[in-house]
Amino acid sequence: MANYFNTLPLREQLEQLGKCRFMDSSEFADGVEALKGKKLVVIGCGAQGLNQGLNLRDSGLDVSYALRPEAIAQKRQSWKNATENGFVVGTYEDLIPTADVVLNLTPDKQHTPVVKAVMPLMKQGACLSYSHGFNIVEEGMQIREDLTVIMVAPKCPGSEVRAEYVRGFGVPTLIAVHEDNDPKGEGLALAKAYAVGTGGHKAGVLMSSFIAEVKSDLMGEQTILCGMLQTGSILCFDKMVEEGIDPGYASKLIQFGWETITEALKYGGVTNMLDRLSNPAKIKAFDLSEELKVIMRPLYNKHQDDIIDGTFSRVMMEDWANDDKNLLGWRAETAETNFEKTPAGDVEISEQEFFDNGILMVAMVKAGVELAFETMTAAGIIAESAYYESLHETPLIANTIARKKLYEMNATISDTAEYGCYLYNHACLPLLGDFMKGIKTDVIGKGLDLEDTGVDNARLIEVNAALRSHPVEAIGGVLRGHMADMKKIV
Amino acid sequence: MNSSIHLNQLTVDFNEDFELNDIHWTIQANQHWVITGSNGSGKSALAALLAGIGDVKHGTITGLPKRPALVSFEAQAELIARELKKDDADILDVISEGTPVHEILFENCRDSDLANDLIQKFGLQTLQDRAFRKLSTGETRKVMLIRALCSQPDLLILDEPFDGLDADTLTMLQNHLASIVDSIPMVLVLNRFDEMPDFITHVAYMEKSHNDDHIDSGRLALTIDKQDKIAFEELAQLFHLKTTKLTIPGIDTANQLPELDPNQPLVKLTDITIKYGDTVIVDKLNWTIEKGQHWQLSGPNGSGKTGVLSLITGDHPQCYVNDIFVFGFQRGNGESIWQIKQFIGYVSTSLQWEYRVSTSCRNVIISGLHDSIGMYTKPSDKQKAIADQWLALLGMRDRADQPFNKLSYGDQRLLLIARAMVKHPPLLILDEPCLGLDDMNRQLVLALIEKICSGSETTVLYVNHHAEDKINGIENYLALKKS
Repeated sequence: MANYFNTLPLREQLEQLGKCRFMDSSEFADGVEALKGKKLVVIGCGAQGLNQGLNLRDSGLDVSYALRPEAIAQKRQSWKNATENGFVVGTYEDLIPTADVVLNLTPDKQHTPVVKAVMPLMKQGACLSYSHGFNIVEEGMQIREDLTVIMVAPKCPGSEVRAEYVRGFGVPTLIAVHEDNDPKGEGLALAKAYAVGTGGHKAGVLMSSFIAEVKSDLMGEQTILCGMLQTGSILCFDKMVEEGIDPGYASKLIQFGWETITEALKYGGVTNMLDRLSNPAKIKAFDLSEELKVIMRPLYNKHQDDIIDGTFSRVMMEDWANDDKNLLGWRAETAETNFEKTPAGDVEISEQEFFDNGILMVAMVKAGVELAFETMTAAGIIAESAYYESLHETPLIANTIARKKLYEMNATISDTAEYGCYLYNHACLPLLGDFMKGIKTDVIGKGLDLEDTGVDNARLIEVNAALRSHPVEAIGGVLRGHMADMKKIV
Repeated sequence: MNSSIHLNQLTVDFNEDFELNDIHWTIQANQHWVITGSNGSGKSALAALLAGIGDVKHGTITGLPKRPALVSFEAQAELIARELKKDDADILDVISEGTPVHEILFENCRDSDLANDLIQKFGLQTLQDRAFRKLSTGETRKVMLIRALCSQPDLLILDEPFDGLDADTLTMLQNHLASIVDSIPMVLVLNRFDEMPDFITHVAYMEKSHNDDHIDSGRLALTIDKQDKIAFEELAQLFHLKTTKLTIPGIDTANQLPELDPNQPLVKLTDITIKYGDTVIVDKLNWTIEKGQHWQLSGPNGSGKTGVLSLITGDHPQCYVNDIFVFGFQRGNGESIWQIKQFIGYVSTSLQWEYRVSTSCRNVIISGLHDSIGMYTKPSDKQKAIADQWLALLGMRDRADQPFNKLSYGDQRLLLIARAMVKHPPLLILDEPCLGLDDMNRQLVLALIEKICSGSETTVLYVNHHAEDKINGIENYLALKKS
């Protein structure tokens, strides 16, 4: 199989990368009608598989689960998940031939064997659905011509997909139709109905393409989302301990700090995150982030380049073929970092203190978000996609770190994201070595502690203007505006 | 009164038709109390007890005042009866005029200057020579008050002293009471919270109690130090719920529920089974809930109460493998859970735990129209108005814009009940609605539920750990056993 993206002419590559549109709620007026009475068979019953299936069934759709014979025979967790929730469970041979829609919700690395196994069993004219386009775009899987291929990708962990649905909402969802496989022209209608069935239409749906989804998703997850937070955690922790700050305090400041500062990011973008700082601290964070951007820009470029030309996926698939040797080794290393091994101390840290004492963390988030966004858009990815895959998702990952630190974060994200995160981390740690030598506790751990919080007017105006005029802020303002109309009024 | 009064585990009979039971109460020398509570809860009885009235059956009472003065309708009636009896007993063949007012006024008087002053102030100077029994009710009440105030009592007990007084007299009396707070301890029985004078230091709240021998009885449910602002506000709210006539706010006509077939039951569960792995929690249960049949479901922990409920609400995944008929839908035939949930109002402790969004109290109520936690559409003006009516009903109108998560636990529970009721659901499910609440908040929640049972079209399904914890108006019981 050849990398699908690389087989396309540049004109089409650019067209596909540039696809992303925030859909209007009126486009979902037909509800789940396009899927009503059809047989939906889910493959895989992990967090996404189970929770999406529960939502779809509660929306009145016919859902069952196809599992591998050994998962059924050995009563594995996936079998338990499905049967305890009262779903019909069967083998591929039992269920796939009856399916109108097959929902492939297995992990990325199983896609090739899974799709190869189910495709011959699928009935003429059925639909195959993905929640990530890696298999199509990077592995170049060819799907039978009579089959419709769509993607519906809720932009949150499976547990949240369910929890938000039960609350009467949903999570932001990306949908796409693989244009090479839309023989009956029904792909969009099916994808929309699926998004309604999981509740996604209540939180906002983005119409994208397989290619835009894959290339932006990979870039976001390995740089700002997971990589930057991992590298930042390790560097900030070690620096604080080196400077004599209580390790328990340092651990807590980082573990919960990312979540707190990116909550401000979620509500009001990079601007609001920096507005939470005092004026001198804001200018300090701005200067640090400018410095970081210069140092890290080549690394972001390299990640994006490797993703666009397929180097990243090729190297990772080599590791898959090598029994995940690198991945498992790096995972074990993460568990051994000092930050990971030091439990959060029993100290009270107020919401504002996370900002005041975490100026460097704010600078790192700003630098990472802006670099990822700039790099993605420079590579032809449209601003909407770039926004979702950088700024929008950062709080979600920060939230998993708050729950159980880096090891848990890496366990929650996909293997693909995890692999990319480690690649980033290994390159970024040495890259920031000199920079970190100049860092003191005034920007991480203790705060500026100024007698006089006065600043130069002209400089403050300059900084504020720079923050507010960044392109990620422009698109962010528009998209958050859409979301506020649709999502909960808080 | 120099020492404190102690009432300990006291049970007292009053004329064999009312009983106060299990009274624990201490009144310190420097305190001024108000006794309040719903009708028939024994407020007057408790006040009278302090004046030595009643037949003590159990418990002890120490430190009772030696010279109490009691003004109450009962005492007033007794005095009038005494006067009428005098008339009857008169064997002389002359027309009796009865005892003149001034004689009654000065019967126990220890301060005639004060008496004359008050006679002026109450406007009784022209009536002094008239027969007491010829006075109007309001006038005899004033006479009673003057008698009591001038007797230099060691405890002044006034049962509804402000009832029927005109505004000027009311102000005069309140001012007078305020002027004697340092010399005479007072216990007032009041039916209205807003009449409570500033000098009151403590509040005793009475409740009707339920006993088996069909004698009306009451108990002292709560005592509150007025300094405790939160407890005082909660009591005011409880009082409001207990004493205000409840009118369920109207429905949002733009969001009306589909009609249900009146000939079909609301819920019909047939041979339902709930199991986790090999453990069977509920085994072949049959249960039909008809419209208007209020039910109480009880059972120990682990007997499957919440499981059965969530089969009805559609929250249990095993609802797709059981024979469940709800609101016209046989489950598992392409209906969505939102089509089911629209007919159900639901309140539970776990809902409260899940309801962590920082939305306003008003929006919490409106979210009941969407069966959502939090709001994702903008409320209409009509919806806001309905929510405000609910807030007023709960005595929380001033808190409409406050964030829900800043409310007390009990107030949150009340709001969630209003949220469940806002759409006038055919079925209201209350899953252990009092769990985790203190006594005051438990009273508040139960008061609201009783109002709903009696004052709406909604069928109530009340789930409680204890089968004996009953609500007036519920007559059907299902007890689950632990299997």
